[in-house]
Amino acid sequence: MSTVVPALQLDHVSRWYGNVVAVNDVSFALGAGVTGLLGPNGAGKSTLLHLLAGLLAPSAGTVHIGGRVAFGDPMVYSMVGLVPEREAVPGYLTGREFVRFNADLQGVADASAVTDGVIATVELTDAADRSIRTYSKGMRQRIKLAAALVHEPSILLLDEPFNGLDPRQRLHMMELLRRMAAQGRAILFSSHILEEVERLAEAILVMFAGRLAASGDFRSIRRLMTDRPHRFTIRSSDDRALGAALLSDPAVFGVDLLDGRLAVQASDLGAFARIVAPVARAAGIRLHELTPTDDTLESVFSYLVRR
Amino acid sequence: MRAFVAIVGVTARALAGRRRTLLIALLAWLPVLLAILVRIGGGRPDAPEILDALVIRTVCPLVALVVGTGAIGSEIEDGTLVFQLIKPLPRWLVALAKGLVAAFVTSVLIVPPMVVTGLLLGGLGPDAIQTTGGFALAGLVGGSAYAIGFTALGVITGRALIVGLGYTLIWEGVLAGILEGTRFLSVRQATLGVAAALTGEDVGEEPLAAVLSIGILVVVTVGGLALTTLSLRRFQLRTAD
Repeated sequence: MSTVVPALQLDHVSRWYGNVVAVNDVSFALGAGVTGLLGPNGAGKSTLLHLLAGLLAPSAGTVHIGGRVAFGDPMVYSMVGLVPEREAVPGYLTGREFVRFNADLQGVADASAVTDGVIATVELTDAADRSIRTYSKGMRQRIKLAAALVHEPSILLLDEPFNGLDPRQRLHMMELLRRMAAQGRAILFSSHILEEVERLAEAILVMFAGRLAASGDFRSIRRLMTDRPHRFTIRSSDDRALGAALLSDPAVFGVDLLDGRLAVQASDLGAFARIVAPVARAAGIRLHELTPTDDTLESVFSYLVRR
Repeated sequence: MRAFVAIVGVTARALAGRRRTLLIALLAWLPVLLAILVRIGGGRPDAPEILDALVIRTVCPLVALVVGTGAIGSEIEDGTLVFQLIKPLPRWLVALAKGLVAAFVTSVLIVPPMVVTGLLLGGLGPDAIQTTGGFALAGLVGGSAYAIGFTALGVITGRALIVGLGYTLIWEGVLAGILEGTRFLSVRQATLGVAAALTGEDVGEEPLAAVLSIGILVVVTVGGLALTTLSLRRFQLRTAD
């Protein structure tokens, strides 16, 4: 019986710096397809990607790339392409020289043709002979992607690849990543923007405060995010009466009067949005202000961690 | 081989483009300026004295420090090294390429001004040429050993310039002169030992024996490359989150 080796596998991986835990007991395995690594800034996404890329040793647990230990084995890089976010590209090289340099280091046959090909793939042919120091942030991201593709890696790790891209470039990169995933590659990209992940990823890993808050099929996790309890504060002409009226609706399961405002907890965001105005109107109450109090990504992730 | 040549080329371009390298290149030519001033003023001090005191003891370690720490340390600082490390290449190859570039650039920066200084002060007589040639060769091997040692320092610590300056100024400049038994831990003393053996000149204090000097420089060179390789194998990225 043959077993399929996952492209990327983490088993109970933690990484800490002194007293600070950047990644906390994370386990998952990924195969072909596009996976989004979602989380707010500082959640541990970059640390996780660097662990996966073998650029950081785990403090505990194991990281495998294609069945090989990721840290301390340079040979894994024949399988992996990495597009780091923060690491600078050498500004004194032209785009073409930088990509060719990467092709030479990978030992790619016919490096010149491959260089031209991947530069065309990321649509930078016109700017290829310009010094990288003249590139915009989006162009730098794209030239890094071109450099990561020279050896046709089976695993592609991208750290915030859409940062700095304009909407057209963003669409193009999404299309490119989809195409590469369809060819059987395992692609993992990080983002702190839900919509980016929603549009591209088939599977999702949600990181929050160093922990894996959720993982799996994107749609089911999206549903979890939408169906969580939602909190609002309301200012109206009669908060007490409005609270009583809202509590009679099944979409609302809690009300409270706090600091001159009405705090409402709703189980269903859509249903609450539909009933709040009609209920107020029926009770003859004027609504002055309706504010969601937990609509940040952080609160969503925090909820997922608590579940 | 293609990867090795590519790393050599990119490292050399990176070093050549750094402002620090240009400034240190100017410093390397300072002895020439001094020699010209001496000649214009009609004076003619001993060439060995200038080559020993100014070039071997001061210019050589400073140039090697800036170049050596720049060969990898600067690439770690700005993050460009990552693109060389995420490749299926043995780390010794990266270390060797960086070390050789550091040694070569250091030699290119210190040897020509040494030769010009020696010729300006000592003239073209056979003894003077032997002295100049001897010091230049000592500068070449000593500067290379320094550069490779400082390359390793650039991978080990983010404060390589400060640590290197401390080693050069405090250890080599003061302590190795006072504590006789520690001179074998000084690249400068080994370089002066080579210079003394090649020129027969008095280099201040009793020089180390030629064989011991060469042994020290070989240990520093090979040890520096080994240390760079080991440090690159254990290299970990600094991550912000």
